[in-house]
Amino acid sequence: MIEQVAFYILSAVAVLGALLAVSRRNLVHGVFALLLFFAALSGLFVMLLADYVAAVQVLVYIGAVGILLLFTIMLTEHVTGDDLRRLGVRGWFWGLLLAVAVPAVLILPAVLNEKSAKAAPIVVAQGNPALANNATQANTVKALGKVLMEKYVVPLEVLALLLTAALIGAVAVAHAPEKDASGKDTPA
Amino acid sequence: MKLLGSGIFKGMAVTLENFVRSYFDRDRKHHLFTKEYAWKSDAPADQLPARADTTVTTRSRNFPMLLHDGKGSEDPMASIRCVACQICERECPPQCIFIEKEYDANGKFVKRPVIFDIDISVCMSCQICVEVCPFDAIVMNSEFELSNNDRFNGLLVRRDALLKSNDYYHRIHPEEAQERDDRMAREKAEKEAKQAAADAAKKKAAELAAEKAAELAAAKPKVDPAAPTATPQ
Amino acid sequence: MIDTLIHILALTAPVAMIFASLFAFTTWLERKILARIQNRIGPNYINIPFTKFRKTFGLLQPAADGFKMLVKEDIVPHGADRFLHLLAPILALVPAMMVLCLLPFDLPFANESMKRIHAAALDNAVLLFFGITSINTLAVFMAGWASRNKYSLLGGMRAVAQMVSYEIPLVLSAAVVIMAVGSLSAQKIVAAQSTHWFIFTPWGLAAFFIFFIASLAETNRSPFDLPEAESEIIAGYFTEYSGFKFALFFLGEYLSIFAINGLAVTLFFGGGNGPWVQAHPWLSCVWFLAKIFGLIFIIIWLRGTVPRLRVDQLMAFAWKFLMPLSILNLFVAAVALKVQQPWLTWPLCALVLYAAAHGLSRLQQKNVGPRTYQYAE
Repeated sequence: MIEQVAFYILSAVAVLGALLAVSRRNLVHGVFALLLFFAALSGLFVMLLADYVAAVQVLVYIGAVGILLLFTIMLTEHVTGDDLRRLGVRGWFWGLLLAVAVPAVLILPAVLNEKSAKAAPIVVAQGNPALANNATQANTVKALGKVLMEKYVVPLEVLALLLTAALIGAVAVAHAPEKDASGKDTPA
Repeated sequence: MKLLGSGIFKGMAVTLENFVRSYFDRDRKHHLFTKEYAWKSDAPADQLPARADTTVTTRSRNFPMLLHDGKGSEDPMASIRCVACQICERECPPQCIFIEKEYDANGKFVKRPVIFDIDISVCMSCQICVEVCPFDAIVMNSEFELSNNDRFNGLLVRRDALLKSNDYYHRIHPEEAQERDDRMAREKAEKEAKQAAADAAKKKAAELAAEKAAELAAAKPKVDPAAPTATPQ
Repeated sequence: MIDTLIHILALTAPVAMIFASLFAFTTWLERKILARIQNRIGPNYINIPFTKFRKTFGLLQPAADGFKMLVKEDIVPHGADRFLHLLAPILALVPAMMVLCLLPFDLPFANESMKRIHAAALDNAVLLFFGITSINTLAVFMAGWASRNKYSLLGGMRAVAQMVSYEIPLVLSAAVVIMAVGSLSAQKIVAAQSTHWFIFTPWGLAAFFIFFIASLAETNRSPFDLPEAESEIIAGYFTEYSGFKFALFFLGEYLSIFAINGLAVTLFFGGGNGPWVQAHPWLSCVWFLAKIFGLIFIIIWLRGTVPRLRVDQLMAFAWKFLMPLSILNLFVAAVALKVQQPWLTWPLCALVLYAAAHGLSRLQQKNVGPRTYQYAE
């Protein structure tokens, strides 16, 4: 009962956040709405008993990605979005196409595979009392660490390499201009 | 080689010493900067000390005041130092000073302010007015009981309330006042000496010119006896 | 179900109340300590209302301040984003309150079943702690942006840059302890230190120093109080806040100081462990609070000592000094945990870490010389 109510509240908040994020003209409001969506999503992860993923969702998406988005937006013009022109017909067309295509690609495999189609959120929380009762006792982090370090170690390392390369690239791009002989900064 | 971070630890040792000794060191305990507030209810009204005189350290600077040289019950406006030059008004960063010059019946400027207002809700106690004043007319007060029920008029201090005697200044900031008086006296003496020297030089020059003219008059009396005697310039 | 809810309430409500009342005490403590450091007295008397008694050592000062905050006019600047302006102080307070419940703070009346549902028993309590504290950054930015004031925005941007940068050494230094314990659960971390606190290991000491410095920056405390630097940008992100909203910010700030120092106590000082705890379990929470206040005293002491950093020094310190050092500390800790010989690890770890710190500080001082100015000459 409580799980169901919580699920519907969280889903409503998530949908509301997502809708606000795309409909607000003010970019900063849009980002905060997006962060609301992320928060609701992390609540949904908790309901799926994936508390580690929920914590990471808060840490990475709200704590880091959101801040990054805000920082980027502060560097752009027209933050309040008052003077932006509206979308044309072509914009609407491609936008709608994307909006349909991305969920379709994401959902299609699940629909095709009946097994995973049954794994709806509530089913997991309700239909697995053993898991639900042991929520705080189950050592999900350890299990996750084992899987990451054994089965998926190669993809993990590749990802780490990619991120390191991105980090070094960012530093190289942002690096200060070389100092000339007199020790003064040369104008960029 | 200096140990890494030793500077911070040294600084922390100094502050810790201050902290501990302020409680246990008898000498330091009695020389804390804060002085106890003289509560109105603790003493009969007629025995109250003049607040700013006694309860505040002489290093306290609060808001500006105007100085006059009168003693006792003389009219302070008779000896006000301010000549309404308006330098402080122009230099004041938050522009909290308002001055109007005084004119007599003939419309002649009498070198006194008729209005001198300081809005202490705007004043930021920067002392720039004190720095720029060439007449030593404006200095800092240490009066602190300025709470008021009237947000606008109560915090706008008028000329007569700003006027304080030099004696009062000596009481609240003895060292600074003495220094200022000494300097003023010195400058005055220098100015007088200069004036005297200038007068003497003038006199000498006049005498010299008179002598010369007399010599001239003596040298050519025969050429033109009707020539007027040269007047010394 | 109802039982669980009551248990949750019994676990969380006292924590919120204890720390909120300690907040008032801490503001008083801070003013007193700072005053004594500067040879002043600090707040020393407040009238007890309707009496003539006023020698209260200023203990009622927080109450008077709180009352003043409550009755003060709430001013929202013209052109401000009203909704976000209201939301920001709430968003600053709520995460700080939430993370307090993640601390392994053993309430005297908690029984076994209550301890099991305590949030500190959660399998990833420490991770959740860092996640929720990072929301604080958002609140600060929101306040800065919604005020429509350039000083607020500058303060907000400074805060964001600073908090994001210092989160990395903060988490990396905590990771050392997590590595040693092998669990993210706060209760297990405390249990692992029942005999030997991690502060008494070479890598633990180094990690604590890094953690403590980073936590100062994370909570915007002096010498890292750039986001609210009075002499530079008025009051930073809460320039435009008055009355109760300002009080909420103030409360949130102090609660996050409690929280982050509570985490430091959990990670390095053995949580509620201490003498006589075995015989009297209720001493556990006393020890916990005593340790937190020990750290808070150091924080206030530092505030009375050190001047504020410059922005570029702040960033360089995080990225070029603390971060490499905390990564090195991870390796050092891994080796030390394998070796397990105190007589060998202590001198070795101390040597390696000190040499690294010395080298890094030298590296930063390389370019220091007489300053050249572009316009001010």
